[in-house]
Amino acid sequence: METSIKSDAFDKFVQASSCILNPEIEAWKEQGGKVAGFFCSTVPEEIFTAAGIMPFRMRGTGSTGTELSDSCFSAINCSFPRHTMNQALKGEYDFLDGLICINSCDHVRRIYDNWIRHLKTPFVEVMSLPRKIEQPQIDWYRDEINVLKGQIEEHFKVEITDKNLRDAIKLHNEIRSLQKQLYELRKVDNPPITGTETLAVMVAGTAMPRPQYKALLEELLEDLSGHEGTGKYRARIMIVGGELDDPEYIKIIEEQGGLVVTDSTCFGTRLMWRPVDEDNLDPVQALASYYIYDRPSCPRMYGDQERRIDYTREMAKEFNVDGIIGERLLFCDQWLVEHYMTNLDLKDDGIPFMALDREYILSGKGQLRTRVQAFLEKLEAAEN
Amino acid sequence: MIVGGIDIGSATGKAVILKDGDIVGQQVIKSTTNPVITADEAMGQALEQAGLPSVDHLENVVVTGYGRLQIPYASENMSEITCHAKGAHWMTPSLRTVIDIGGQDCKVISVSPKGAVLEFSMNDRCAAGTGRFFEAMARALDCGLEGISALENQGDNPCTISNQCSVFAESEVVTLVNEGIDVKNIIAGINNSVASRLMSMSRRVGVIEDVALTGGCSKNYGLAKALADKLDITLQKLPEDPQIAGALGAALFAAERLDKAD
Repeated sequence: METSIKSDAFDKFVQASSCILNPEIEAWKEQGGKVAGFFCSTVPEEIFTAAGIMPFRMRGTGSTGTELSDSCFSAINCSFPRHTMNQALKGEYDFLDGLICINSCDHVRRIYDNWIRHLKTPFVEVMSLPRKIEQPQIDWYRDEINVLKGQIEEHFKVEITDKNLRDAIKLHNEIRSLQKQLYELRKVDNPPITGTETLAVMVAGTAMPRPQYKALLEELLEDLSGHEGTGKYRARIMIVGGELDDPEYIKIIEEQGGLVVTDSTCFGTRLMWRPVDEDNLDPVQALASYYIYDRPSCPRMYGDQERRIDYTREMAKEFNVDGIIGERLLFCDQWLVEHYMTNLDLKDDGIPFMALDREYILSGKGQLRTRVQAFLEKLEAAEN
Repeated sequence: MIVGGIDIGSATGKAVILKDGDIVGQQVIKSTTNPVITADEAMGQALEQAGLPSVDHLENVVVTGYGRLQIPYASENMSEITCHAKGAHWMTPSLRTVIDIGGQDCKVISVSPKGAVLEFSMNDRCAAGTGRFFEAMARALDCGLEGISALENQGDNPCTISNQCSVFAESEVVTLVNEGIDVKNIIAGINNSVASRLMSMSRRVGVIEDVALTGGCSKNYGLAKALADKLDITLQKLPEDPQIAGALGAALFAAERLDKAD
């Protein structure tokens, strides 16, 4: 299932999603631009944009092994930090001018400790993300963001004014709105873009100077208008899960005939389905509120499962989904329990659900294929 | 109507030929390194048994198993899960749960009264609790798969094998052997550990009787006994070879497709 999109913008997105250092970043660096890496979608990218720094969401794309990082991680650590750290130890992240680590989970948190011992990135800071989603935690995160803001100002010798922040929030909201428009195109019976292709567009959105990305995304939306659709498929699938930056994983599902039409992932709708409040008098407070409470959360946050399952239900309904696949990186305890609960909850709604484990680097394709095919056959048997 | 079903597994290749709803040929062979050759050999022998000169005499062929994407004369490929459910349910229509233990996968499948898959759970991506696991254990104990399977080898005082990883479990077994533990108790421990794993998978799906085992490992009597004890149920004995359930299911789908086309 491929739509053979003819679009220069799309080609650039595919390129950006399939490597770490892409031509747009190289051009940006050549003009003297700075790049700061960050782990986890709860780091407020807007702060960097406001400082004139390009934010880059960390990935292990292109990794083929963990031979360098295995000395500082173990075989039962999540493969995402292991591959990403391995890429860093190979020098793939030497272009970074800064890095923000965060305690999104314990595996990712430990990257900070390993990074500062083994790598020479000039500016490495760590943020503390609260676990609960109530007012005291929002206020705490506001303080964290303000601390980070101060650190950036001091290190990069810039001033981040409220106006800079408001402009950055506006730009990122515009991008969110365009990405949402792209998703809206997938609600129809014959969408002009597949799930595999969409993920490439979303990943590229974390790996390019944002004004360029926004312009390219507008171009893509234009190219897609009137574009013919994906054609025949067996079922409309939604993906729910965590760190998923590899379009090839979606491709395995789509090759079996399961068209991925929407998701709740942190390279997907959770990034952009809702905007940051632009009316808040304190833009930092608005960011804190957004990242802790307003946007859909991931299972690392306490006491929010009810809202998460409601969000999943709403999306499934809005996109006319036939079945949901729960994606999970092996050893992720957060998503393990979440998927278990999701499965039980969705049974009440009659929405079929299947958990599908993977490793960060796509392997065991045969086993993935078998599970997906059986799931699709089950959906079809239920229809008949 | 003459149709065929092929199941190219990781350890064995199976072929079944159905003539007007009766099994007229069936074969289980060891998988080769080439799925096409495995299919040709299994199918060739099944055809011979059915008295048919070549695969061209089959009106439709459906294929399942790991090698399912490679077989040129199959009209369709389907997952092992759907096929095992279909095949086992055909053998014994009262089945509501099928536990398939193959060479590198094990699945617990909940089946509708019509033989369709309602729900399934599958091992995560390692081979713990599958045929590969038993092969490794048989090697460590130098007793062959028959030795692990035989009912008289199931000791009364099973050891605890805590490691589910084939590699680590093998070293655990080596340690037990060197401590002078009775091999029968080690064997019972191995079967118990796999049965525990299958029990937790079964609990995810929910075990509704009647229940039967399919796949190569269903012939491990020690495992079957341990599992029946743990689940506190009686496992149904299937009227046909439980190892051909997948290929039989594929053949049944091949026939169904022709029926629908008519």
